Amino acid sequence: MTLYRRRFTWMLLVTLCALVLSARAQATPLVIEAALDYDVVAPLLEAFRSAHPEIDLEFHDRSTLTVDALVSEADPAPDVVISSAMPWQMARVNEGYAQRLDSPAARSWPAWAKWRNEVFGFTFEPIVMAYRLDLSKHMMPPQTHADLHTLLTTETAQLQGKVTTYSPLKSGVGFSLFQQDARYTPRFWDLVAGMGRVGASLESSTRAMLEGLSDGRYWLGYNLLGSYAMVWAQEHPEVIVQVPQDYSLVMMRMAFIHRDAPHPAAAAAFVDFLLGREGQRVLAGQTPLFSVRPDIVGPYTAARLRDQVGDRLYPIPLNASLLAFVDPQRRDAFLARWRREFRRDD
Amino acid sequence: MIEVTGSLKRRLAVWLLLTVTGLGALLMIEAWLSTHRAAERAFDSQLEAAALTIAEAVQWQAGEPLVEMPAAALQILATHHQERVFYAVLDADGKPVSTNMSFTIEPEWRERVADAPWALTTDFDGTSWRLYGREYDSAGWVSQEPVQVWVGHTRVGRQALGDELFERTLSRFLAMVLLAGILMAMALRVALGPMRRLRRQLRHRDADDMGPLDARVPEEMRELAQTLDHLFARQRHSREALLRFTADASHQLKTPLAGLKSTSELALKSQDPADWQAALLAVHDGADRTSRLASQLLSLARLRHIGEAGRVAPLDIVAVLRECVLDWAGREVARDHDLGLAELPSGPLWVHADGWAIRELLGNLIDNALRYTKAGSEITLGLCQHRETVSLYVEDDGPGVPAEARERLLQPFERGGRQDTEGSGLGLAIVDSIARRLGGRLSLSERSPHGLIVTLDLPLCDPDATRETPS
Repeated sequence: MTLYRRRFTWMLLVTLCALVLSARAQATPLVIEAALDYDVVAPLLEAFRSAHPEIDLEFHDRSTLTVDALVSEADPAPDVVISSAMPWQMARVNEGYAQRLDSPAARSWPAWAKWRNEVFGFTFEPIVMAYRLDLSKHMMPPQTHADLHTLLTTETAQLQGKVTTYSPLKSGVGFSLFQQDARYTPRFWDLVAGMGRVGASLESSTRAMLEGLSDGRYWLGYNLLGSYAMVWAQEHPEVIVQVPQDYSLVMMRMAFIHRDAPHPAAAAAFVDFLLGREGQRVLAGQTPLFSVRPDIVGPYTAARLRDQVGDRLYPIPLNASLLAFVDPQRRDAFLARWRREFRRDD
Repeated sequence: MIEVTGSLKRRLAVWLLLTVTGLGALLMIEAWLSTHRAAERAFDSQLEAAALTIAEAVQWQAGEPLVEMPAAALQILATHHQERVFYAVLDADGKPVSTNMSFTIEPEWRERVADAPWALTTDFDGTSWRLYGREYDSAGWVSQEPVQVWVGHTRVGRQALGDELFERTLSRFLAMVLLAGILMAMALRVALGPMRRLRRQLRHRDADDMGPLDARVPEEMRELAQTLDHLFARQRHSREALLRFTADASHQLKTPLAGLKSTSELALKSQDPADWQAALLAVHDGADRTSRLASQLLSLARLRHIGEAGRVAPLDIVAVLRECVLDWAGREVARDHDLGLAELPSGPLWVHADGWAIRELLGNLIDNALRYTKAGSEITLGLCQHRETVSLYVEDDGPGVPAEARERLLQPFERGGRQDTEGSGLGLAIVDSIARRLGGRLSLSERSPHGLIVTLDLPLCDPDATRETPS
């Protein structure tokens, strides 16, 4: 009797092992090319891995321009493409590189945060200013774009070399933000001229700017990704994050399934998870990326951000007008003007 | 026999369905084409607007055209259907000054657009696109060359709009058909109302009621109603004739019976055997007459009842006539008259008739002639052959019948106003019935200087052929 039972147990174990091994062998790979810090998004990826153990997730964190190049050049193509460079993502979708996602979560996704049901803005990240505590010892910290302009004009000497912002040339995100700023007011160019006067350092990522602030190299940063800055400020008390009080741009990370995705089912499962209740809850609770969905509760949601800073949030519209930002001639003209204003001497 | 061959409603429904399906299909094809054309036009105007907006942004710098792509133009292009968009600004050589995708604009397209703005539908990377091209003259300080602005978008919105418009048209059409069908059914019900009322009236009619219909009917049913009225009138007449005949027959039978009764009563009161003998003789004569009357009534009733004769063999009327006259000439009743035959045709003459019917007819005519003429009168029978008929005539030189009474003579119990004979008045009625049965025509005419001619015209027939082909 005991012998039989033991033999039975052994057989069961062997079968289980075989099952696990075969499952591991059959696991569907899923390749994601993303312009999104792995550290920031890790909780989300972990949640996905535990929800879908049958999918072998491979996440590559790259710069926005690399991601954009990979869309057309990578062979095999990536399954899912995520980037914060909204105009480039839009251009790729317009070129037909995305495939439609037809799922309940995709259909019920807010219309202002998706295009053609092919590309989805799944985060809601405010664009902020950040300053070092040192700044407030010498001057009134800026609360609006106008404040910043005043400081750059009046405190030129003290701020010399202490201001940092995105490089429009090296960073797709930075370029998009400046384009959007310029759309709102022509006085933006005075701001650029002011930056030029204090010899602002042009960085290619928010992380570099934050590190500079913590190191004391910079006192003031303009157009940082709020998601990164807020997390940084929690660990670095010397850095203060300021959401501009006149208007604050909001950037969305855009995700789409590649047209030639080798594993379309796994890709659809991932994007569906990203847009679904569970993914958005992780986003709102464990990452500073802010959830778009109005039915999610957590420290990082669009609704809560609106409560905190009021209605002055201006999401970069996710529509065809983004395509104009990547028009080569318009881009050249914009960069030329940027350079001209940055070196303006008056 | 009533055979039901489908229902009027179903027939109308089938016709309606066929018409609606046939015409509807054509109508719907036309609607599909026109709605999609309308959708194309509506969206083409978006393309025009976008092209214009882009053209506004073209400027010349250092001899090169420069476009600062307006974001609004792209939004106009995308429309709210979020189409994929394409734009290209081409210089005079066809080289793209600015474009977002590497679609090839064919040289012939460019040539065409050089003349006038033009829109076309084409396929790029597996998707259908609508392109619109337009040439703009622009002037710079260094060069003055035209630029072509090409814009395009995918056709999802057009198809959606076209389909939506078409669906709306289709649903309206279907609703209309449904409504028309319901109205048609209702109209049919109303239209068939008079028919139903007539049916109800006929069903509730008394069996004896032969009066004309009292119904309001539409024009289309007037003929039916009139035919019914005629039918009722004929029935009424034949019924009245039957009643009159029965009444007359009873009356005719009653008179001799009353005579018999009075004669026998008188004889019973008498003690004289001689009176008895005389009464018995009178009774015998009366019974004879009554029996003859009864047999005539019977044959008349039988003739009328039998109706249409079946197919009978051809009969030689010459032989029958000769035989009959010989038979009658030898009888007691003909003793005082000069009964004779006119000269008969040499060969046989064939008619479709039963022998008994011709004999009965001749018998009645001869009997009548004997009865209604004075003793010593001359009675002549003869035959006249025409092309397709033969006339059999019986003429006498008796007093004749006034013209106005002749037609009435054919009615039963009509004696031509004569009360001086013991005839029943049924003879000519029987003759007329027989004549009708044989397909012949009976006529009475005057003989000069006095007397009556009774003529029966009968169709001749071929002895070898059937009844329908008289030679």
